[in-house]
Amino acid sequence: MSSGFFKVAGGTVYDPVHGINGERRDIWIRDGKIVDAPPAPDVRPDKTIDASGLVVMPGGVDMHCHIAGPKVNSARKMRPEDKRKAEKVVRTAGTRSGTMGSVPSTFATGYKYAGMGYTTAFDAAIPPLAARHVHEEFEDTPCIDKGFFVLMGNNHFVMQSIQRKEPERLRSFIAWLLGAAKGYTPKIVNPGGVEVWKQLPSGNVHGLDENVEHFGVTARQIIEQVARAVEELRLPHSVHLHCNNLGMPGNWRTTLETMKTFGDSRGHLSHIQFHSYGGGDADETTFNSKAKELVEYVDAHPNLTVDVGQVLFGETTTMTADGPLGYYLSNAFKSKWFSSDTEMESGCGIAPIEYKNTSLVHSLQWAIGLEWYLLAKDPWRVVMSTDHPNGGSFLAYPQIIQLLMDRTYRHDMLKQVHPAVLERSTLGDLTREYSLYEICIITRSGPARILGLPNKGHLGPGADADITIYTPNDDKTKMFEMPRAVIKSGVLIVDQGEIREPLTGKLLYVAPEYDRGIESDVADWFEKYYSIRFRNYTVPLDYLHDAEEVRTA
Amino acid sequence: MLTLRYKAETPIPVEVEGLTPSAVRTMPLAEIERFEIFHGNRKRPLAEFFDVSGDPSDARLEFEGSLSGVHWIGAQMSEGEVHIRGDAGRHVGSEMTGGTIHVHGNASDWVGGEMHGGLIHVHGHAGHLVGSAYRGSRLGMTGGTILVDGSVGNEVGLTLRRGLVAIGGNCGDFVGANMIAGTVLVFGESGNRPAAGMRRGTVGLLGGHPPALLVTFRKTCVCKPPVLRLALAHLQSLNFLVPDDCWDADYGVYNGDRVTVGRGEILVRESQAARASA
Repeated sequence: MSSGFFKVAGGTVYDPVHGINGERRDIWIRDGKIVDAPPAPDVRPDKTIDASGLVVMPGGVDMHCHIAGPKVNSARKMRPEDKRKAEKVVRTAGTRSGTMGSVPSTFATGYKYAGMGYTTAFDAAIPPLAARHVHEEFEDTPCIDKGFFVLMGNNHFVMQSIQRKEPERLRSFIAWLLGAAKGYTPKIVNPGGVEVWKQLPSGNVHGLDENVEHFGVTARQIIEQVARAVEELRLPHSVHLHCNNLGMPGNWRTTLETMKTFGDSRGHLSHIQFHSYGGGDADETTFNSKAKELVEYVDAHPNLTVDVGQVLFGETTTMTADGPLGYYLSNAFKSKWFSSDTEMESGCGIAPIEYKNTSLVHSLQWAIGLEWYLLAKDPWRVVMSTDHPNGGSFLAYPQIIQLLMDRTYRHDMLKQVHPAVLERSTLGDLTREYSLYEICIITRSGPARILGLPNKGHLGPGADADITIYTPNDDKTKMFEMPRAVIKSGVLIVDQGEIREPLTGKLLYVAPEYDRGIESDVADWFEKYYSIRFRNYTVPLDYLHDAEEVRTA
Repeated sequence: MLTLRYKAETPIPVEVEGLTPSAVRTMPLAEIERFEIFHGNRKRPLAEFFDVSGDPSDARLEFEGSLSGVHWIGAQMSEGEVHIRGDAGRHVGSEMTGGTIHVHGNASDWVGGEMHGGLIHVHGHAGHLVGSAYRGSRLGMTGGTILVDGSVGNEVGLTLRRGLVAIGGNCGDFVGANMIAGTVLVFGESGNRPAAGMRRGTVGLLGGHPPALLVTFRKTCVCKPPVLRLALAHLQSLNFLVPDDCWDADYGVYNGDRVTVGRGEILVRESQAARASA
């Protein structure tokens, strides 16, 4: 008779949430969840994976990537040459065909994440106007659970509410918008700067206290007010921030000031590497690392978390809601450029680029990312990311793991980059090597905790049975790029690198309570200014594929 | 010589990418017959579509039959010779790096797309985008020579980076558009907007009735460019028919395209130049 149990037996388990550091354990699974071992000793599992000698971790969680939405689709369309030369994802009996390159197609994205042991990913920048299409794309992105952050940092309704000094109206709007889009948390990108870019030729804001014309607000006010609303709504994740002045020499001062702006509120600063630069005004010859100064501040302020946005050398496609940044990059790299204006909500810029190890700037970007991992005292608040595909592909995570775990490999690579990196960063002096326990934190347990996902990132009873089993190998790139097995929601989906059962995965969203009176206000706003009717804007629950509401605290 | 006689009758595209002289020259015939090609989106053995005979060891392939539905012949080849006795489909010699292809008939679009080296000689007509970049690419053809005795369609030499393209007949619109460098010579008539967006390189409109040039090209001189005589002599050495009246004519030199770098040139036979700028 079927017991309904699935057992991963005898693996070397890493579960930092429960302080388990490489202990031999059994993991019991039932109905897609991890459960306690059955009390009766004679219970036999329906299926057992012998994990003796293998490393067992929770499934990976990518908390900041770009895998869906209009920017991703525009990038897919504008880079046929990238796809033509890339690995082909061929159809099999159980899987669909797809394309790779720097911006993989939907199905390929799901397969590749799962094939690397990741079971959850969050798209970091979705204009809510495009949410409906994102849900359709997510349904075609198999094997992983998904969610997305909703762009709000340049939303006209948000800025108008701040201008009017109406925090209740702002809070209700944010809650309504998250619920309407079925998103996860507010995303702020270059607050105010994108709006100025849309108003003026080459416009932008360059500091936290510059005025955003017409709305009469500042970046500082946008960050403060949205962060406060997120705290009051008790959302599981904090506001997710892409600071002003991304990529500019000397931007670390803006970043530090932004960190201070959060006060005691939670705040997540995304792709922090791109915001940790010293140097003069747009003068690349003075470019240097200020990671150390910023790490010290984050270490001392437990309300702040970051993901790194590691740069890897090679070609990729940048995509951002930071419209002026897209323009800057296309000029810097003399590459093709896509720009769009998402009505009242956001902007977008896309440009292909190539990071070269012969370039001082690119080499420093690579080094600064590694500095963040290696200098930070608390790995729970520093998350692995490449800001896929902006710094590089998510498929580079195994290489980053090796760079962190193997200082010989790291120093060998350091010899191949621009020599001035040694003078302008501290990377050459850093001897720290990450342990598997710490890798487990920065790739799954930490991001799950920061996202407020109680059922992810650990292997205790009640957790989603998302489990990755690796074959130990001194070559950490090899170890992490092809797990021995991946279990998603209790189903073996990857075995020896082959996709066995491409589950759809579920959507993770929030539905915070709010004052329903806001809806008439928003409806009037829509009728006046939007290209879409209010009643057609909200994505209804029955439009979603498998979905799970993550409760507010 | 390996002979591949096409025997299939199918409206579905047949793609023979990878079937190059170097890929098969050491294979026994039975293995070549099992070589997988695409029929639509299905992989099928070569022998389902071709009768295979002869000896591939001299790196010479002879395709025979009505091959207008067979694409990517000679694509990515690096050595040897390919002769196509009949009409050929799209992408003949695409991305090839060496060797020679002769099409003894007409060819469809994308002849020598992003070609890097070698020679393609189409003895009939060809379609659009001869010697061009594929969509999205920063660079088109980077080397080699493409000769078309007959006429061709639009966008010849799109984003050409290096190499020589010569068209014996007429060409369509946008010849040499976005050219980065290299040479395109057209001995017949040309369609509209030649060399639009060119940065460097040479487009020679050596035949009659050139179209009005874009206003972003400026006439700089009239001369008998010595380099043109060298190019014509080179073409003649490759058995390409060069009209007698091209050798000693005067050519108007138009620099542009000034919407970009502006260091390219269009050569227009002077007897026609007055019409071109009228």
